[in-house]
Amino acid sequence: MLAMSEPATVPDQNSPTGALEGDLVRRARRGDLKAYDELVKRYQERIYATIYHMTANHEDANDLAQEAFIKAFSALKSFKGGSSFYTWLYRIAVNKTINFLKQRRNKHHISLNDLDFNAEHDPDLVALISDKTPHREVNLSELQKKLNEALLKLSEPHRMVVVLHDVQGVSHDEIAEIVGCNIGTVRSRLFYARQQLQGYLADYVKS
Amino acid sequence: MSEKNDNFQDLKRLLKLKRHEIPPPGFYNHFSDDIMARIRGGESGGGHILERISSESTFLGAWLRFFEARPGIIGAAATGLCMLLLVAVILVDHSESGGAAGGMLISQAMPAATDASASPTVASAVTLAPAADNSGITVSTNPVSSLQPVASLFGSQPNPLFQPVGFTQGAR
Repeated sequence: MLAMSEPATVPDQNSPTGALEGDLVRRARRGDLKAYDELVKRYQERIYATIYHMTANHEDANDLAQEAFIKAFSALKSFKGGSSFYTWLYRIAVNKTINFLKQRRNKHHISLNDLDFNAEHDPDLVALISDKTPHREVNLSELQKKLNEALLKLSEPHRMVVVLHDVQGVSHDEIAEIVGCNIGTVRSRLFYARQQLQGYLADYVKS
Repeated sequence: MSEKNDNFQDLKRLLKLKRHEIPPPGFYNHFSDDIMARIRGGESGGGHILERISSESTFLGAWLRFFEARPGIIGAAATGLCMLLLVAVILVDHSESGGAAGGMLISQAMPAATDASASPTVASAVTLAPAADNSGITVSTNPVSSLQPVASLFGSQPNPLFQPVGFTQGAR
């Protein structure tokens, strides 16, 4: 099982298993399901993780991620190649998620995934909680719950920017392209969202 | 700005916790298979039909998004449509009753014409009514009475369809 301990990176396109993305996209456009399967495998973790961090619900994230990939396949003919396939796919996933969250407004049902083993040994997290209490494991779960609740209090555009940048490690430029706004807006949203989160999580972080 | 960003160091550390949240074991092993099965099954992933229409037509999509974001306007439009429909029904009803009154006036104004045209039908209605009675078929919710030929029961008027039948032995 692959842990999402670091933002996933695109597989090496020169490696034997990693065919060129452009070639895969061209083949998939012609209806080659094997090529599309490889594209799905390449991006499934990042797409799923982004949607999961937005919804805080594993089942919803699974459904939406699947729908995003299926929609991307059916819309491949309209993909002009103006941006990378990965950015285009992200945009589809983000739009689907935001539409879903608008419909689901005020009906949050949290279904969180488990933390991986590495969480207990992450130096940043250890440093963050070690001075609070010796019951580390209990506090990690509690922290996870509080963090997700705080994220759900943010508006969708603000949550999206935090998830993409601070959790997924996507750059400001790419976020601007994915979300469809300018970099200044991305930065201001990020700043505002962090401020809000800092307020919600005042008991756990130093302001 | 950088000083402000430094204030978020703890928050950024805390947000790293999200990266440790992992789906159930084996989740990614079946993920792409599920998608491929759904694609082979003919799903387009467009979801709702409105979503597909809005993605294909930007103008229509903009309209749909506009209405989606303002449910009050949808409610007002629906109420307006209902009111229009109600007014239309009332107007049609009114014009029909007006037309009937007009028809009566015309028949009063031209008695000869109406008599000539109406007399055969009136006559046939008059002649048909007893025939219907004589047939003995009555419409009733009571199953017993509806099955009985009423006129023949009381013998006041013989049923023309009724014919007495006699059987004699040794007719072979």
